[in-house]
Amino acid sequence: MKSKSRFRFDVKWAVILAIIAFLLVFQVLPLLYLTIRAFFPEGRFSMEGLKRIYSYALNRSCLVNTLIVSAMSMVFGILISFPLAWLVGRTNLYGRKFFRTLFVTTYMVPPYVGAMAWLRLLNPTVGTLNVFLKNLFHLSALPFNIYTRGGLIWVLTTFYYPYAFITISRALENMDPTMEEASRISGASPLKTLFTVTIPLMLPSIIAAGLLVFVAAMSCYGIPSIIGAPGKIYTVTTRIAEYVSIGSAEGLTDATSLAFFLMVLALIILYISERVLARKNYITISGKSMRPAIVDLGRFRIPITILVALFAVVVILIPFGTVFATSLTMNMGKSVFAAGNLTTKYWKTIFSRSSIFKSAANSLLYASLAASFGMVICLIMAYLSERTNVKGKSIPNFLITVGSGTPSVVIALALIMTMSGRFGINIYNTLFIMVIAYMIKYMLMGLRTVGSAYSQVSPSLEEAAQISGAGWIRRLTDVLFPLIIPSIVAGWFLIFMPSFYELTMSNLLYSSNTETLGVELYLYQTYHSQQTASAMAGAILILVMVFNFLMGKLSKGKFSI
Amino acid sequence: MKKKALSLILTACMALGLCACGGSSSSQSAASDQPAEAAEAGAENTEADAAEAGAETADASANTDVSGKVVIYTSMYEDIIEDMEKDLKDVFPNLEIEFFQGGSGTLQSKIAAEMDSGKMGCDILMLAEPSYALELKEKGMLHPYKYAETDKLLFDYDEEGYWYPVRVLNMVLGYNPDLYNKEELPKTFKEFAEDSSVKDMISMSNPLTSGSAYSSVVALYDLYGEDYFKALGQQNVAIESGSVALTKLETGECKQIMVLEESILKKREEEGSALEAIYPEDGTIAIPSPIMIVDEKVSANANIAACEAVEDYFLSPAGQQLIIKGWMYGVRSDVKDYPYDGSPVTDLIPKFIPVDWEKCYKERDAIRGMFQNHVTVPAE
Amino acid sequence: MSVITIDHVSKQYGNVTVLEDFHDEFKDGEFVTLLGPSGCGKTTMLRMLAGFEKPTSGEIRLDGRVVSSADTFVPPEKRGIGMVFQSYAVWPHMNVFDNVAYPLKIQKKSKAEIKERTERVLEAVHLSQYITRMPSELSGGQQQRVALGRALIAQPKVLLLDEPLSNLDAKLRERMCFEIKEIQQRFGITVVYVTHDQNEAMTMSDRVFVINSGVVQQSGSPIDIYQHPANQFVADFVGKVNLLKGVSENGTIRLTGVNDILPYDGPLTGPVDVMIRPEKIQIVPGEAHLKAVMLREFFMGDFDDCRVRSGEKDLRIIAGADTFGKFEPGSEVGLEITDFRVFPESAEDYTKILT
Repeated sequence: MKSKSRFRFDVKWAVILAIIAFLLVFQVLPLLYLTIRAFFPEGRFSMEGLKRIYSYALNRSCLVNTLIVSAMSMVFGILISFPLAWLVGRTNLYGRKFFRTLFVTTYMVPPYVGAMAWLRLLNPTVGTLNVFLKNLFHLSALPFNIYTRGGLIWVLTTFYYPYAFITISRALENMDPTMEEASRISGASPLKTLFTVTIPLMLPSIIAAGLLVFVAAMSCYGIPSIIGAPGKIYTVTTRIAEYVSIGSAEGLTDATSLAFFLMVLALIILYISERVLARKNYITISGKSMRPAIVDLGRFRIPITILVALFAVVVILIPFGTVFATSLTMNMGKSVFAAGNLTTKYWKTIFSRSSIFKSAANSLLYASLAASFGMVICLIMAYLSERTNVKGKSIPNFLITVGSGTPSVVIALALIMTMSGRFGINIYNTLFIMVIAYMIKYMLMGLRTVGSAYSQVSPSLEEAAQISGAGWIRRLTDVLFPLIIPSIVAGWFLIFMPSFYELTMSNLLYSSNTETLGVELYLYQTYHSQQTASAMAGAILILVMVFNFLMGKLSKGKFSI
Repeated sequence: MKKKALSLILTACMALGLCACGGSSSSQSAASDQPAEAAEAGAENTEADAAEAGAETADASANTDVSGKVVIYTSMYEDIIEDMEKDLKDVFPNLEIEFFQGGSGTLQSKIAAEMDSGKMGCDILMLAEPSYALELKEKGMLHPYKYAETDKLLFDYDEEGYWYPVRVLNMVLGYNPDLYNKEELPKTFKEFAEDSSVKDMISMSNPLTSGSAYSSVVALYDLYGEDYFKALGQQNVAIESGSVALTKLETGECKQIMVLEESILKKREEEGSALEAIYPEDGTIAIPSPIMIVDEKVSANANIAACEAVEDYFLSPAGQQLIIKGWMYGVRSDVKDYPYDGSPVTDLIPKFIPVDWEKCYKERDAIRGMFQNHVTVPAE
Repeated sequence: MSVITIDHVSKQYGNVTVLEDFHDEFKDGEFVTLLGPSGCGKTTMLRMLAGFEKPTSGEIRLDGRVVSSADTFVPPEKRGIGMVFQSYAVWPHMNVFDNVAYPLKIQKKSKAEIKERTERVLEAVHLSQYITRMPSELSGGQQQRVALGRALIAQPKVLLLDEPLSNLDAKLRERMCFEIKEIQQRFGITVVYVTHDQNEAMTMSDRVFVINSGVVQQSGSPIDIYQHPANQFVADFVGKVNLLKGVSENGTIRLTGVNDILPYDGPLTGPVDVMIRPEKIQIVPGEAHLKAVMLREFFMGDFDDCRVRSGEKDLRIIAGADTFGKFEPGSEVGLEITDFRVFPESAEDYTKILT
């Protein structure tokens, strides 16, 4: 991928510069401001604050927990996602399409709600699944304890593996099957081919996927606050929440100092992945067209399908069933099927609130805006780093990664401090501040998806359009974008979904006209009504599934996740 | 007990409401509908009926002069706020009042960020506990206002008028009578920390993120000293948000939790929940949550006159009814009502464990550290 | 009118020079081939003509208009050039018609015109019956024609072809060669063709540039290049060759390792390199002063490809097809060298480059 017009001022560079300016103002400025505050407490450079924070034993154990938990979630996320993506995308597994849709659903549910479901299932005293397993196998004690590091890793993994699954699926579908065929013809078994050809070729996507899972897991607050805290497993994000809640300037500074760790960690992970990928040049969509190859599972077809179904039951059906059951339970001390305990009142509650429709409409708008603007930025910035040779082309990559690695609460507070007039920009209490917050937090998902898609498209396809007389914009819209449209749609959804039910930032940034579903959800959370929150999560899930289904139908499978 | 409270509330509603409202047919069956209807009835009548609040009547005529906009940050429940908005619209027809609702911790961090930016997004604060008010006062963020009827207030207030208590939260122990026998559970905060039969199955809010939990820690620290928290740590108490704790109480995962009474009362009234509060025999912990006016220079709308009028209203008997409807206790000696399934506040006062708010504020870091060392930090 | 002027163009990547001082002019309607082994810089030159690369120094002009120079740069889309890529670069998401019609759509031609012209071009590249097919439903050769059609449709002044036939089978390649030549003549356009295949170069070109290591070794007509190679590399790269060492003195060259003395009246004296085309060695009946032993022979249909050993050297001989089978392996044959080229001695072994 060589540089083309490096020095010319044209549309391309105007757009790229505009986007960089946007990132500088709305992302770099707030985060930089916070960082500077942490390092220059009294206008002079000082490491004292950092030293104090990082010398505290509890904080250090938080760092260790975050590292271990995120790394393990990443490893397990990939270990789960790759086989699933391969089975669903490249084999004759029964019900491939169905499973494909099913496996991405966990990320359509707010992590808070899902964590509560797992807590009900696997708590060490009366966990439903725990008790069931104990009775089934006549165990002397309950088999699982969710309030452990393992439990935390489990819940984080089940929530964030879809990021990896989506990224890897896309890449697998775009892979040149002749490369696998070449391996088969050289005498390698399908399994050997998988390990010697497919996986190495997929490495860029696998690493991109791992990065996404890692960053999502380490900056997640909802799950560790529910699953980790009771077992005294604190993470950086839960500590940050404690510092922030003091409500003092020092608290904010301390929180920033801790958040700094996450930002740096995100950068290190990014750096490593870039280094590993430095030699990548796995162009798999070339100008020569080919058909995707499907591996015949043969006699393993049925057993493997059963295995996949079993996984779906454990990871999706049981927790989601719990969410729905909770939303229909009058008294949570009894089974949903106990006499008189089944109720629809919580569903009625959510549909009888007038504000909920307005909030849903707001969320739909803001999340769509964030996803759309975000994707524009991702498409251009990924182009910059994948298709040009400019010095510093990876800077936007770094910026966007740092943003995602920053805990939500820190982003929101940084935006309040910097975007309410201090620097001549006042978007506080408007929808823009929320859209920008969502973009900062979730753009990485889009960027990585698009970036790995770009790297699979041969530059000659774009050059062919260029020599045909197409300008930069036309080349993108006529050739490049249509070729990677599945990845664009996937990236859009990856930004849209978490923005749609985002809770932490929304709660700090909303104003009377800009309430979102996340705010409503938070409401039911603080209302101590697990049932209503579950009903709402269920409603969101159904809504998104219907939306996804319709989009898939209307576009004949092109526009869905 | 429940019946009595119900009838009391009904009586209050009848007294407050218009005839049309009082004639509502379903008054016996659906207690939860009543407060809403009362709210719709309008506040003018409330004031007219509340004979003891003579000053209010005088104010009411002046209320049309109150105009502009006021933004209130509050940690009160949103559906109480919805009722309040309706009432306030009637009391202050020309004033636009906007509520921003959130947890105390969230709001405090939002406020801290706003203070950093030099401009607040609000005019009135109704959140947290007095130590936070002390902090804001010291930082010069508040506007002093002399409330006329301080003699009616049952709780501490700021002599200079920087803050007044406007609602009282009550920290109690909660349990689930469907699953566990009350007789076998701790009856005091002390037993809560020491009774091994509830070990691993108790929970409380995080004092590092929740103001009311922090206040309770200070109260218990004063009462029992550091040993209390060592014991609590040994009990393996789960430190988590109140909503999670309540869910665990409902599912039986927790036998007992330290919780604000309002959250249990709300569940009882709205969901018919069986959860019950135990008033610990060593006392309950009252957290009078303050109302504060933001200093004109940094406030969002610089509308001090309106802020004072609104503060007056919240402290008035009429305003206090809204608080009580929200399952919290009132602060006035002349308002006899109390929340659904609660107790008269005057009965509770003698049993309150005192909280030293100065200490809460001044020794915050030390107390937080003490708590972390004994309770939060994983046992090595 | 379309003259391509390449004015002292060089290209460097960092410290690596990939093309050195290319200086020439391609005439209107000329079929020019850039020939050389992979990595020689030919594709870089082509991409600079297209505008995908910028020369490090020098200037490129199209019909006198500067398109690349130190301070001017016309991007590819503004050059009005057609190009066929080695990988075809047929867009997999568009059908045949849309692929080919694309340049016209960019030019915002009317629907009717696009339809008419696209159909005409598809006719010319023999794809009329595949008009609505998707690229994945086409064979390699058909995809190649799509790429060619797309390159031609806008009636470019210049057509660039980057090893367009390297992915095709031999038969198809041969046919495409003639088709391309025919199309070039019909449309009367200037073609710059990049290949490493000397046969393609020979078949189609008006002029061939032989490039090695970024340096143009020789340019000229195919015949000229073949018959009068400028150096060992050209001689070796274009066509088949026997390389021998020798010593030039007193109007003769004594071959090293082969017992023969060749008459020579050139200027070189001392050690020299001697290049002999296989077809310039004849097997002569009866007694000859240069003797060899037949090692093996390959029947190629139209000729007989023989390997013989003379003295210490193996020689390749292209003989008439009727020679095949006349000599048993191991039997002695007489040889006569009818033509040869002499170059100053070079330490480099040019035959290595080819393998």
